[in-house]
Amino acid sequence: MPLKSVRFITWLVAILLAIPVLIGLIGTLLPAFHYFPPLGEYHVTFAAWISLLHSSEFYSSLRLTLATGIISPIIALWMALSILAWGYQRPFFQKIENLLAPILAIPHAAIAIGLLFLLSPSGWLMRLFSPWLTGFDRPPNWITVQDPYGLSLIFAIIMKEMPYLLFIMLASLHAIDARKTLEVCQTLGYKRLTIWRKVLIPQLYPIIRMPIFIVIAFSLTVVDLALVIGPNTPSTLAVTLFRWFNDPSLSKRFIASAGSIALVLVIAFVIFGWEMAHCFFTRLTKAERSNGKRSGPTDYFLRLGVVLGLITLSSAFVSLVILPIWSLTRRWRFPDALPASWTLDNVQHAYPLLLELSSNTLIIAIVATVIACLMSALMLETKRLSKTTKNHPFDWLIYVPILLPQIGFLFGLHILLIQINLNGTLVAIIGLHLMYVLPYVYLSLKGPYLAYQEDYLVQANRLNNRPWRNYFFIKLAMLKPAILTAFAIGFSVSIAQYLPTLIAGDGRYSTLTTEAVAQAASGDRKQVGSMALLQAFFPVFIFWLAHALPPRWTKWRLSIYLRIKKCYKQIPKQSLK
Amino acid sequence: MQLTGENVLIIKNFSLSLANKKLITDLNVTIENGQVVSIMGPSGIGKSSLLGFLSGTLSSGLNAQGEVFLNDVAIHNKKAQDRRVGLLQQTPLLFPHMSILENLSFAIPARVKKCDRLELAFEALEKVGIKDKANATPEQLSGGQQARVALQRTLLSEPKFLLLDEPFSKLDPALRRDVRAFVLDEIRKANIPALLVTHDAEDAKAMEGSCINLDAPE
Repeated sequence: MPLKSVRFITWLVAILLAIPVLIGLIGTLLPAFHYFPPLGEYHVTFAAWISLLHSSEFYSSLRLTLATGIISPIIALWMALSILAWGYQRPFFQKIENLLAPILAIPHAAIAIGLLFLLSPSGWLMRLFSPWLTGFDRPPNWITVQDPYGLSLIFAIIMKEMPYLLFIMLASLHAIDARKTLEVCQTLGYKRLTIWRKVLIPQLYPIIRMPIFIVIAFSLTVVDLALVIGPNTPSTLAVTLFRWFNDPSLSKRFIASAGSIALVLVIAFVIFGWEMAHCFFTRLTKAERSNGKRSGPTDYFLRLGVVLGLITLSSAFVSLVILPIWSLTRRWRFPDALPASWTLDNVQHAYPLLLELSSNTLIIAIVATVIACLMSALMLETKRLSKTTKNHPFDWLIYVPILLPQIGFLFGLHILLIQINLNGTLVAIIGLHLMYVLPYVYLSLKGPYLAYQEDYLVQANRLNNRPWRNYFFIKLAMLKPAILTAFAIGFSVSIAQYLPTLIAGDGRYSTLTTEAVAQAASGDRKQVGSMALLQAFFPVFIFWLAHALPPRWTKWRLSIYLRIKKCYKQIPKQSLK
Repeated sequence: MQLTGENVLIIKNFSLSLANKKLITDLNVTIENGQVVSIMGPSGIGKSSLLGFLSGTLSSGLNAQGEVFLNDVAIHNKKAQDRRVGLLQQTPLLFPHMSILENLSFAIPARVKKCDRLELAFEALEKVGIKDKANATPEQLSGGQQARVALQRTLLSEPKFLLLDEPFSKLDPALRRDVRAFVLDEIRKANIPALLVTHDAEDAKAMEGSCINLDAPE
């Protein structure tokens, strides 16, 4: 990009990134201390905090949040590391590797809904084993999902986060040269899992620390997953706060704001505790690493992780398979393993609704992601030109929106949207989506963009002096695969957004995700199944396109290009093979 | 091809230093039309930096002084894009997402009309001897063919002078001879001054012009 005044643009973008974060924080912080001009409250008091700390619901919610938010990342990390250690370089594992991107692309709400259909007392699992094994003719009176301990929520979070961690680990492996380490250690007589435990995992951890923090923050604050499959009364803190924010009596807002600040503190506290625990754990195992034992009983711990991890991955698949089954079901009585009769009526019936939801979803996702791609290119170009490799403001600023809890923060921004009259508009929804899409697009584009061999562009500008044109048709065109992948990632992030759509949309715009989550627990399984299916379909389709298009693009373009060109007659025919 | 005739490249008193360490002092070169002057020397002496200075893309950190005249017009103060310079590097840098024909027609100045561009590009293709590869992508060409296409592409942009930065070093020894002859032939036809930087004495000899040896600084 032939940019001038790089510093100015850097600061401008940095401020643009920081402003919504600051406003969101201020919009939460002030009401937490009872300062809220829109409601005529101008006096700073601690009333909200006092009532928060006296509410028993706060403590029970907090307990659930801590349990789900700490246990899920630990188990997800354990499973991901186990599967990596076990499967790395195995041919079978490469198939799993190829499936990771589409799994990641599927919005977590869709998987949670599938899981709900699978595990609930009247779910598929029970149907498959009834009545021949269980003897049930009707759904048992058990609580299997939305259990009061949050177990099903933990399972759903693991199902989403384990593939993500695995994906990140695979991408980071080249940095530690795992293949050579394995070779060297194997010649020393170490067992495979022991090598991972003693040598590779300690090297890998510092590289993936940031993604782990993202997982922790997500697990502690997720709203949509918890609404679908989490415990109800009491629910996790994020859901409780969500209810308080939506309470008709606006005074609840103060307590909710105080609770949101508490949630931020909880995230900081848990991440701090996690790092302390990691330090402690490293000390504890340091001596064991160099004790010379070529294998150890703790290897079985990894082995168990592999088994559980594979079970989790396959349940994710089964959860997805069940979505199209429900959307095509006419009649499916309880103990039957499959529907008694099939139909397209459900889809036809829901067609107008599905069309509206899909078009809302797609417009928001495409516009937000295209803007995010352009902004990422601009940011990366200024980063490249500024040549400061360390601590560029973008590199940490970009993480802030993903680490802060959406709940609270977004309600703080909501006040601004109302003030500037953007509340309930598409612009506002796209703006909020952009905040969450941009970090992922930026991070995925960063590596390939900065690695681009700039000589091509310099040569192009020497050959014909049209810098802007060359930037798009040489540099960006050569980066097509990376840009399309970044687009697919951003697109799937946007499709999965629940709270941003809900809050900025103000009930005027619904997407597949908001509607599916709203109806998941209560609604008609046939319709919810269709919504969740579409919700899963679009990102997977875009991922497939991003993967399939670039290698064929040039070939296809060239095969039609010259034939439609006016002057093509001037070229001898045999040269157009 | 332009046959204006008066192109002469003169480099006056060129000096290059890196952090007080003198690399090149008072280099004077005159190159006439259709002539290739070679510059030889060990690596790290600043040969590529000389080309960077001439093309206007010298990397920062280096201190270069001197004057460059093209037909008695000073060009060392001009921006890179106003110098009308052609540069050929070790890698041919053909754009992988474009066909050979598109690569060639990319370099033709915008004022040339659509159908004429195609014809010019096709003529260049014929000179390389790969008429049948118009719609192929660069990766489908051999290394020697790529080097020749890269030269043709540079010449199509109608440069006033040409810089060659070890363009033969990545080629097979067997191919090198053919490509060298092709390059010299084309430069003579284009009738522009050319400066070749190399560390292979064979390259310099094949160009049939004078050769300047740069010695390592004391």
